[in-house]
Amino acid sequence: MAQAADRESTHDMAVALTDLQLSLGAGAARVHILKGISLNIRRGEIVSLVGPSGSGKSTLLMALAGLERPDSGSVVVAGQDLTSYGEDQLARFRGRNIGIVFQSFHLAPTMTALENVALPLELAGAADAFARAAAELAAVGLADRAGHYPAQLSGGEQQRVAVARAIVANPPLLVADEPTGNLDEATGASIIDLLFALRRERGSTLVIVTHDNNLAARCDRVIRIRSGRIDAAGADAAAEAAA
Amino acid sequence: MSVGTRGGRRAILPLTLRLALRELRGGLRGFGVFLGCIILGVAAIAGVSSISRSLTEGLAREGRAILGGDLAISFVQREPDARETAYIKRLGANAVTANLRAMARVDGPAGDAGPAAMVELKAIEDPYPLVGKLELEPASPLHDALAVRAGTPGAVAEPALFARLGVKVGDRILIGDRPVELRARLISEPDKLGGGYGFGPRLMVSTQTLRESGLIQPGSLVRWTRQVALPAGANDDAALKAVQARLEADWSKAGWQVRSRRAAAPEFERNIERFTQFLSLVGLTALLVGGVGVANATRGFVDRQRRSIAIMKSLGASGSRVVAIYLTQVMLVALAGVLIGLMVGAAAPFAAVALAGDLLPVPIIPTLAWRELALAAVYGLLTAFVFAIGPLGRARDVPASGLFRDMADADRRWPRPVYLLAMAAGLAVLVVVAIGFSYDRRIAIAFVVAAFLTFLMLRLVAMGVMAAARRLPRPRHAPARLALANIHRAGALTPSLVLSVGLGVTLLVALALVQTNIRDQLTRSVPGTAPDFYFVDIPSAQADAFAAMIDRLAPGGRFERVPMMRGRIVSINGAPAEKINAPQDVAWVLDGDRGVTFSEKPPEGSRIASGAWWPADYSGPPLVSLDQRIAKGLGLEVGGELVVNVLGREIRARVASLRAVEWRSLGINFVMIFSPNTFRGAPHTALATLRMAPDAPPGAADPVVREAAKAFPMVASLRVREALNAIDEIVGKLSWAIAGASLISLAASVLVLAGALAAGQRARLYDAVILKTLGATRGRLLLAYALEYGGLAVVTGVFGLAAGAAAGWFIVTRPMRLEFLFSWPEPLMTIVIAIVVTVALGLAGTWRVLGQSPAQRLRAN
Repeated sequence: MAQAADRESTHDMAVALTDLQLSLGAGAARVHILKGISLNIRRGEIVSLVGPSGSGKSTLLMALAGLERPDSGSVVVAGQDLTSYGEDQLARFRGRNIGIVFQSFHLAPTMTALENVALPLELAGAADAFARAAAELAAVGLADRAGHYPAQLSGGEQQRVAVARAIVANPPLLVADEPTGNLDEATGASIIDLLFALRRERGSTLVIVTHDNNLAARCDRVIRIRSGRIDAAGADAAAEAAA
Repeated sequence: MSVGTRGGRRAILPLTLRLALRELRGGLRGFGVFLGCIILGVAAIAGVSSISRSLTEGLAREGRAILGGDLAISFVQREPDARETAYIKRLGANAVTANLRAMARVDGPAGDAGPAAMVELKAIEDPYPLVGKLELEPASPLHDALAVRAGTPGAVAEPALFARLGVKVGDRILIGDRPVELRARLISEPDKLGGGYGFGPRLMVSTQTLRESGLIQPGSLVRWTRQVALPAGANDDAALKAVQARLEADWSKAGWQVRSRRAAAPEFERNIERFTQFLSLVGLTALLVGGVGVANATRGFVDRQRRSIAIMKSLGASGSRVVAIYLTQVMLVALAGVLIGLMVGAAAPFAAVALAGDLLPVPIIPTLAWRELALAAVYGLLTAFVFAIGPLGRARDVPASGLFRDMADADRRWPRPVYLLAMAAGLAVLVVVAIGFSYDRRIAIAFVVAAFLTFLMLRLVAMGVMAAARRLPRPRHAPARLALANIHRAGALTPSLVLSVGLGVTLLVALALVQTNIRDQLTRSVPGTAPDFYFVDIPSAQADAFAAMIDRLAPGGRFERVPMMRGRIVSINGAPAEKINAPQDVAWVLDGDRGVTFSEKPPEGSRIASGAWWPADYSGPPLVSLDQRIAKGLGLEVGGELVVNVLGREIRARVASLRAVEWRSLGINFVMIFSPNTFRGAPHTALATLRMAPDAPPGAADPVVREAAKAFPMVASLRVREALNAIDEIVGKLSWAIAGASLISLAASVLVLAGALAAGQRARLYDAVILKTLGATRGRLLLAYALEYGGLAVVTGVFGLAAGAAAGWFIVTRPMRLEFLFSWPEPLMTIVIAIVVTVALGLAGTWRVLGQSPAQRLRAN
């Protein structure tokens, strides 16, 4: 009974990681990065992952976005166990359920802002991809930049396009990898405001990797990663801080 | 190409295309070599086939002029009798021509023997020419030029004869016993192409003059032809076919050879097709070599697009979708290259006519050869697909997680099996198309096998070189160490360089060796047994007198003669000759009349391979001995039946033996030798050869020609050296054409090499920067690169030399059946050029790399 209740609660979660082990590289160069991470994130929760460089926080983000396959353990996102998915299933799942914002924006350089935003919808086969993309661009304040290519946009504008692209398919889970890392402070702040506002409107779950303590403090929960494990003391401290 | 989910195919294709087009907005940077390779190969194939089609079209359209009428009916060694003449005259307007080989000569001042030359004599009767225009210089009607003036008939000749005899317009020459006045130079003759090739210049007289010359004796090898123009209104293709059918029905046993304007120059057309196939294969080689450039360019393209690929994947694109998007891009670029190549190729015949126009010796009617152009397009697209799909397959395994960290090095794993399968399938289609659409399948298959083996061997050489470089002890000399490391490191230039330089050197060495060997055999006196002279048409009654004269003029020489007649194969084992589908290298035997002879003993230079020679006093039904190789091609074995028409009579003979013939000795030998009783009493002439005594002084041969021409005007003497020179000239021209076509393959090689070197530069830029920060001077780096390029070029060049020599040996000894002699200068020169080009191309790009300031590069990284 207890187990069934447990599973039910796991499926209630936006993200449920159980004993995640992950190594990268091959042979002598193989490095054990995630060493048994278990973590539940509730629907609608805003969580920040913090920790020193090389602690494994970005790898953790990739694992829960289905971009990196764990050696063992399970990754359940939106009630789906990603560890059983094939590569193409994962890609389609991501397109519908996970929006990603990168530190370096990673817009397709040969596509306009509008086309960049429409891309996930097009890949998912949505007929109204461009109408929805245009609305999303307007929502991030870039209606007049729709026809511009990334190279014609400022860093802040590029990141706004990236945010619009991440959110356009209304994914239940948003992940952001140091979204302000390549921006000046003011622009970064405005991007975070935008991200939080959009999340609030749609009730998405948001997981942010950041070095920025102020940003971490604005989140519902701070999870500190150290050497591939969740630093319990740090997590408590953050929880207290949040409370 | 496998794309996305089942059932979603319809929705997927437009999206794939849409995304591919968006990605292409980034421009075609990095596709230069890719485009160059495709354009070059497709243009070569399309150009060759367009010109060939335009020629065929020209021959078809000009068929009437080439033939001299709608029909040409030929009689060998006899004139048509009254009944035949009456029948042919009823068909339409007639023009009579007679062709034979003869001697034209000039008498010396004191009536002694002057210069003499063999001519292709053509006697004509009004209203020749029925079709087309004959051009004389000075211009005058042909009828007037040939007319008798003051008791002397006129003649016209090609300029070459004027030069050979040292005469001018207005001079007199002798044809047989008849003096004629040279009235004009023959500039163009409308039906020349239909007459086949000759060894001497054309001399034209009236039939009346020919009859008075004494050249026509019983058994003389004269070919009488009646050119027929069907009446206007009844000369369309249907009417022509009907007339042909009637001729066949009414005169099937008359021994006529009937040709129609629809196949006016069958031998020439066959040669065009054969040469076209050869040149198409050369073009295909260029395309295949270019394929390596395509593969390299695609690999570089995928490497450059790793970030875009990762972005697509992180946004929900499946791996197969990504491959489809990038395959679409590559194929769109390939399509652009194919279209440009097709335009260039299709323009070739138009350009030829615009530039050369009337100077062309053959009729070209510029034609858009849609079928051939489509084939060239298929070759281009298939090649692009086959060479691109492997590298593109790697796009599937580009991880999206790369976006979160520095993009890892491009992985060098093999693409997934599905892409290898797709590549194999594309290759199979390419092979099937190349063989299926070829003129001679055996050659096409040989080409496919040779191409495969060459690629495989060069690949193995590259692997061997890399493995050896890996195992060699590290030199202490830093530039040498760097060079050695560059040869075997991951992503090294070695495979591309070995392939392009190796193919180039192999091709050049093989061509050079084949050419020097052919020329060698032709121009240097053929050693041993080859004769110096052929004498054709010695009347049997005068054969002994002729032999006595030769004995006097060339003491110690070796004189041999055999009887000779002309005969045409009518049927083989009951099957009509025109229905027999013989292989290309044998079909010529069925093409018209051939020399036949009879003999009591087997001829020298051949041995009985199977069956038995007839007894000396054999008197049973006719027997024949055949050349073994030709018999095999015709499907004849000992005991088989052959019907030959000689002098209008059909002779049914049984095959008694097959002979292995040593044609190379240039001695007298015949495909068909009959038992002597077959032709007992029939008129014939003798064919003789003369080999001068080994100690004969130079110039001893000259009086032979003069005296023989004076004493025996009906005997045509052919100097083997002159004939060989004529052939050498043709070989020289063909060699140029082949070398020109091969240049395209070489250009593709250089393109591939340049592309590979350029791609390599990007990789070694980083090395150079690091080494410079550590204190390496530009000179040291340059030395290291020169050692690397030079070392690879030397190793590859040596391999290319060996492979080219092997290919040359094979071509010379097998299909050409010549003796192989290795000559050093050209192959060595080829290697030197290859090394210089490789090092120069390599260093040219490297110099730019070395000019980069380290600080600037390091900041950018």
